[in-house]
Amino acid sequence: MELVRAERRDEAIALLLPAFRRKVFGLAYSFLRDRDAAEDVAQEVFIKLWRALPAFDGRASMSTWIYTIARNASLSALRARRPQSSLSDAAVMDTVESSNPVPPADLLVDRAAILRLVDQLPPKQRQVIMLFYMEEQSLEEVAAMLAMPLGTVKTLLHRARARLSASAGKMSATA
Amino acid sequence: MSTPDSELDKHLAALFGGLDTRADFDARLMARLRVASQTDATEQAMRARERELTRHRRAVLELQSRRRLTMGLLALDALGISLLLIVAVITAWSRFGGEVIGISRQYGPYIALWLAVLIAAVPLLGIWSEQTRSPSRLL
Repeated sequence: MELVRAERRDEAIALLLPAFRRKVFGLAYSFLRDRDAAEDVAQEVFIKLWRALPAFDGRASMSTWIYTIARNASLSALRARRPQSSLSDAAVMDTVESSNPVPPADLLVDRAAILRLVDQLPPKQRQVIMLFYMEEQSLEEVAAMLAMPLGTVKTLLHRARARLSASAGKMSATA
Repeated sequence: MSTPDSELDKHLAALFGGLDTRADFDARLMARLRVASQTDATEQAMRARERELTRHRRAVLELQSRRRLTMGLLALDALGISLLLIVAVITAWSRFGGEVIGISRQYGPYIALWLAVLIAAVPLLGIWSEQTRSPSRLL
């Protein structure tokens, strides 16, 4: 806040970036399911933040403000680009693989199948699942990012996990 | 032995746990911010120039309007003075001697003509000076 008040926006952004880069990207990615688009949105979000920093009055917390900008930017980008990509697209698979370059060998086989199952979840459940596992399983953080009550996030996560478990069970039964 | 749920957790954590931006994200963002900063500075300068031009135009218009008002008042003033003069001359007419009346009969039309020209010239001169003055010289 002191940097913002002192109109040292570049320094303020340099401080915010390590703390929020991954969260903003993850939030955008949970909406868009496209790495390039999510990175573009994340960049736009930080540029918007940089422009809007002098107007930030500190009434809401910085993270709430940043997540609101990120959600709005992601929704705008989502509306602008149709049809949507799917998590099981080859490009999305590459994205996930490139983000985890050395996965354990036993996970490699199931990765595509799990991605397909996550992709089949309803949008809200899919978002919660992605952000929950991205954010080191912090429900509070996911709730803040999606501006949802904690109880709703818990319910969505529970339903998503139950659905994934059931689908995975069915898959292994047929295999 | 791991439960199916913990297996699922493991899979999902492996899938999404390491999801992050590309390594050059910060560098690209900083480069874009530098460009945005320059663009903002240029835009701010242009906006300031436009604000200044608008302020100048408004001031010129205000000044012109004031001048027109002054000229109008001056014309009314001249008219008032001439009326007062006529009233004064009519009132004093009977008290003038024959010599004065003789001169006035001889030069009366010329005096009246010059007086009319003088009264008409005041607003005309004002309008002329208003039109020939450039806006930049007004401020």
